[in-house]
Amino acid sequence: MFGGAFMMGAKDRLLPPAIPFRFFATAIVYHLVAWGVLLGAADGLPGYQGGLGPVLAALHLITLGVLAMTAMGAAYQMLPVATRRQLGPAWACSLSWWLFAPGVALLSFGLADGAPWALHGGATLAIAGLALFGGLVAGNLMRVGDLPAVTAPVWVALASLLAVLVLAGLLIADVGQGFLPDRASLAAAHGVLAGYGFMGMLVMGFSAVLVPMFVLAPAIPDAQAKPVAAIAAMALLSGAVGALSGWSWLAGAGAVLGLVAALLYLRLQRRVLAARMRKRLEPFFRLLKGGWVMLPLSLLAAGLLALGLWPEVSAPLWGLLLVVGWLLSFATGILQRIMPFLASMHSAARGGKPVLLSQLTPPPVLTLHAGAHGAALALLLASVVLDSPLIARLGALCGLAGALAFAVFAIIMMVRYRAHHRSQ
Amino acid sequence: MAEALDFPAPQDSPPVWLAAALDQTVLDVRSLLAAGSDPLGALMDAADGVAFGGFLVVDAPFNPSPLRRVLAARGFSSYGRRLGGGHWRIYFHLNGAADWEHDSDVAVMDEGAMLWHEQDGLHIDVRKLRPPQPMLAILRLIDGDAALQALVVHHERHPQYLLPELAERGWSVARISEEFQDVRLWLERKS
Repeated sequence: MFGGAFMMGAKDRLLPPAIPFRFFATAIVYHLVAWGVLLGAADGLPGYQGGLGPVLAALHLITLGVLAMTAMGAAYQMLPVATRRQLGPAWACSLSWWLFAPGVALLSFGLADGAPWALHGGATLAIAGLALFGGLVAGNLMRVGDLPAVTAPVWVALASLLAVLVLAGLLIADVGQGFLPDRASLAAAHGVLAGYGFMGMLVMGFSAVLVPMFVLAPAIPDAQAKPVAAIAAMALLSGAVGALSGWSWLAGAGAVLGLVAALLYLRLQRRVLAARMRKRLEPFFRLLKGGWVMLPLSLLAAGLLALGLWPEVSAPLWGLLLVVGWLLSFATGILQRIMPFLASMHSAARGGKPVLLSQLTPPPVLTLHAGAHGAALALLLASVVLDSPLIARLGALCGLAGALAFAVFAIIMMVRYRAHHRSQ
Repeated sequence: MAEALDFPAPQDSPPVWLAAALDQTVLDVRSLLAAGSDPLGALMDAADGVAFGGFLVVDAPFNPSPLRRVLAARGFSSYGRRLGGGHWRIYFHLNGAADWEHDSDVAVMDEGAMLWHEQDGLHIDVRKLRPPQPMLAILRLIDGDAALQALVVHHERHPQYLLPELAERGWSVARISEEFQDVRLWLERKS
């Protein structure tokens, strides 16, 4: 019985495939919707300084609908394997999707339209879904004492998530009420903590295991990872408090510290790549590398914004480099790899012959997605610098084309997976 | 790679309790011996602190047979592994000396995995290694030796993430046995 109980733990680390794939499929749909909404609102992107409307809705369709949705699906599947501790129960993971997925739709509608019922209802659902996710991840991390390269940054991500949810609640409650003395400062702190804190630190934590696993290299040593997480945490604190208080020197110091942490993180990743067994990097890695280039650039833009330099350009530039350049490149790159990987893994877990990763992955479609994504980013950045709505529309069109290619990739993968499953 | 290692004759399987001993703190007495001190007192003190069902792990520059027999009389089973020319690791388990002495010559890979031969072929023990080290060790072994046709893996759980990588390399899992902290997989290269 003892042995049986142990083995149940060993097997249960693999969640039912419906759970992670539900999150991934939703992320793909929101990816399409986000670019579609941005295409319709592209004229408002150059010079955008914040405020309700379709640009803000498109931004949250990406940050919540694609980035957070992907992070949730990936964390539920990968974190228990990395930490070797249970995460769940499975029904709670499913419940977080039922709260979060419709919440994002409703909230995005509210952000575009300004309707209070949609804003409040959507925010309540989305906050509840993310809070449940945070609780589940925290429950897993509390049982781990031997993996600081993963757990230290993920704890910082969870602390950031808590702050993000509080700030988001305040910002939503303020709509129509106007009780916040400086709404723009609160929104800036919300952006810093959501982008670099919640998502960025999750990326840092997962990178410590996922990237070595994908390229077949030794994991990042704890002793090297911990100081990077500590510097990043100080950067977040400086950046968020600086943005909230309006002390530009503190926000600027946060950007500089963030740049130091980012460069140290990138140096660790470069060492992983240098020690890898898999000499030929797979196509998905183009997006990861692109994201890594954009991360320090986004921090440079953040520094300009913190110092109040060219805000009409540096504000939208920062948002684009952070959200589309760094995080969306990284998240879709990871999705390109883990969706076929998990499909192959689950086909093997059924006991039959596993479907090969190479059979599930159509490289030309992935190339099309990566190319369109890169073109979209370049055009959107150019539109901001040149203050050109036409270029912004072209950029959003490229983004939509990339999102379509990504959806086609997912459909091809599922068709091939089902065909393999039927042949068993 | 496996052929390049100088393996002794096939041996018995390690004891079942070994998995639980792998993450114990190691008492290394090599420096004491190198300095001319007798570590017996420290070892006995450490053994006194072990409760029934507990473990003591000792690193020594040779196979400490006298110590193993002394502790066997006090109820300890032991399993010794020669990790290198002058480096033995002895795992003691206070279980009434039910299986009191086993030895094994092993090779240790960079990832920390242990390799040895048994009657049914090459074995690799990746238990207690942190991800992705187990996958890395197994794939390095498979990729590094085209002549390797079979491999027995000792894992602490089902290595789900390994399966897609094995399939890509033309390997499959022929059989699995599940014991407490020892999920054993017989891997085969497909013809």
